[in-house]
Amino acid sequence: MARLSVQLGPLVLRNPVMSGSGTYGHGREMALMCPPRHLGAWVSKTVTLEPRPGNPMPRMAETEAGLLNSIGLENRGLEYYLSEILPSMRDLDTLVVTNIGAECVEDFGTLAARLDGEAAVDALEVNLSCPNVGGGRLPFSTDARMAAAAIGRVRAATKKPLFAKLSPNVSDIASIACAVEAAGADGITAVNTLLGMKVDWRSRRPALATVQGGYSGTGIKPVALRQAWMCCKAVKIPVIGCGGIASADDALEFMVVGCRAVQVGTSNFSDPSAIGNLAQAIEHALDQACIADLEQWIGSFDNPRALAGA
Amino acid sequence: MPAPPQDARSRVARVVRCTPCGADAFVLELDPGEELAPVRASRFFMLRREDGTSPLVPRPFSLYRQQRGNLEFLIKAMGRGTRALVSAPAGSKVRLIGPLGNGWPTIDGDGPDWVMLAGGVGSAPFWMGIEQAQQGMDGKTPVRKQQVHLLFGAASSDLLYDFKGLAGLGVSAHAATMDGSHGHRGHVLSLLAQLQASGKVPERVRLLACGPERMLEATAHLAFERGWDAWLSMETWMGCGVGICNGCPIPTRAGGPRAGWPNVKCCVEGPVFHVREVDLARRVGAPT
Ligand SMILES: Cc1cc2nc3c(=O)[nH]c(=O)nc-3n(C[C@H](O)[C@H](O)[C@H](O)COP(=O)(O)OP(=O)(O)OC[C@H]3O[C@@H](n4cnc5c(N)ncnc54)[C@H](O)[C@@H]3O)c2cc1C
Ligand SMILES: Cc1cc2nc3c(=O)[nH]c(=O)nc-3n(C[C@H](O)[C@H](O)[C@H](O)COP(=O)(O)O)c2cc1C
Ligand code: FES
Repeated sequence: MARLSVQLGPLVLRNPVMSGSGTYGHGREMALMCPPRHLGAWVSKTVTLEPRPGNPMPRMAETEAGLLNSIGLENRGLEYYLSEILPSMRDLDTLVVTNIGAECVEDFGTLAARLDGEAAVDALEVNLSCPNVGGGRLPFSTDARMAAAAIGRVRAATKKPLFAKLSPNVSDIASIACAVEAAGADGITAVNTLLGMKVDWRSRRPALATVQGGYSGTGIKPVALRQAWMCCKAVKIPVIGCGGIASADDALEFMVVGCRAVQVGTSNFSDPSAIGNLAQAIEHALDQACIADLEQWIGSFDNPRALAGA
Repeated sequence: MPAPPQDARSRVARVVRCTPCGADAFVLELDPGEELAPVRASRFFMLRREDGTSPLVPRPFSLYRQQRGNLEFLIKAMGRGTRALVSAPAGSKVRLIGPLGNGWPTIDGDGPDWVMLAGGVGSAPFWMGIEQAQQGMDGKTPVRKQQVHLLFGAASSDLLYDFKGLAGLGVSAHAATMDGSHGHRGHVLSLLAQLQASGKVPERVRLLACGPERMLEATAHLAFERGWDAWLSMETWMGCGVGICNGCPIPTRAGGPRAGWPNVKCCVEGPVFHVREVDLARRVGAPT
């Protein structure tokens, strides 16, 4: 039987399946739909320093092969997260990753410093890439210097493992990946949503109140896979693949190109319990393909000979 | 953060049959594979075909009836999601997520009469609402026949989905159509005014409403004007139904019981809200 545990920088995940930020609750809400022990790690919705009410409605629209959203990071802010949510996460039977977001470097630092002392938090994921704030300008994920500044500030404020979540809305993701690696990130999550929009030509109205939003789901998988692969090739730190992943096959596609773990986002909405069966499905697929050593097999896409004799 | 209800599950159900109802709707009967405990009226399920013909995101539907262990949904064919569901062949698999949401408040026989305002397919949560109120909800006094007034409004008589069946449940039932093809000509609130003027419905009532946004707005307005209690079963676009997508916000009313945060999540905190809890005037872009 395949061993599913993977090393992710300083962390060991019991399996490579993680939830995607903003798509699987903020605390323990989904524990009845998916036993936490079935996940390698669980990721919170983005926490910001101040409460954010989110964007106006409509905030979501479905397209032919995916979903557009402009939630706008609705959350009750750091103080609420610390007092109301984190205490209940202490004994969660999986690793807890807190995703943080901010619009300036200082706030990233403050968030990381406040979370540094929290035992319930196993790692931080830094959301450099939300397209739904600041009009989709994505300052922290399109400019390598800004990305490095944010990650550098977080690094200085915490000893916790830290992952940088990157945007696919760039022409050269490798340069951003290298910048956050140099600034001290322990890993990279690739990728957040693609910028997109939907209109009704008859009414001449946009589907989202903010006109543009983040595109996710099945349709973005090829783009996400390529961006994740570019990151895998560019850096030595581990990469977590994300974008359109719904099945064991999807997950293993990201892993063969080098991702050490995967995150499931939009597909949680199709069936909120499916993520709990994904690790087992991956194990089954690996067994069927006679792959016993997952660690060694990860990334073998670029160098099939490395596996000769395996 | 509000979690999905304790009894909510994600399971695969089988289509038993799908029967036309009125001009554009169907009753989809599903076998959930295991018997569910009785579900409170105006709770809902998310549905999606498992064979790849449904869109990515499941769609919300009130439970219409629960009988012989099966679940029935009254579905009006609108776009991709509903069309896929109403064309599901018998025996095919449907993802069934639920039961979700809170359901109607306790419809008891102790206070003022109840007026149920149903607009079009918004009649779905009233079938079981009537049945449960007659049986007695939450240990409270069951309602008697003359304590519940069902006012069912639609554009025309062929959109009064099984009005006969609903009326047959033993309540005082009245229809209103915009084209006058059945019952009162006009909308349900003008029908209510008429029934009150003629003494068929008492002056002081409690309202339960489910239907188009404009009908709910008018209901809220009337309730505030008269000082009546009123609960609305709200519709929003829903991405998940279980509280994890943040796609279903309804603005809360300033000074109301939920004013602590600008939005409530319709799926896990509703879909039924007291008019004091929500602010329909701040709701832009809601389904009409
Ligand atoms: C709690 C709840 C209970 C519901 N119960 C029922 C029910 O018992 N029977 C029933 O027929 N319908 C019900 N609806 C509405 C139903 O979910 C929508 O009609 C359905 O999601 C439309 O999907 P579609 O893919 O067919 O349409 P789409 O292609 O998504 O849209 C077609 C049209 O439907 C409107 N629409 C889209 N989503 C919704 C929505 N969630 N609510 C209202 N209008 C929408 C759009 O604005 C558009 O005009 C309920 C909705 C909610 C939130
Ligand atoms: C409704 C919704 C809300 C999201 N919220 C966040 C968020 O708060 N923070 C974040 O880093 N990513 C957020 N994301 C992005 C996802 O975590 C994920 O990176 C992206 O959707 C691509 O993966 P997918 O195709 O599997 O959904 C959100 C995505 C969706 C669909
Ligand atoms: S529908 Fe997803 S949070 Fe309500």
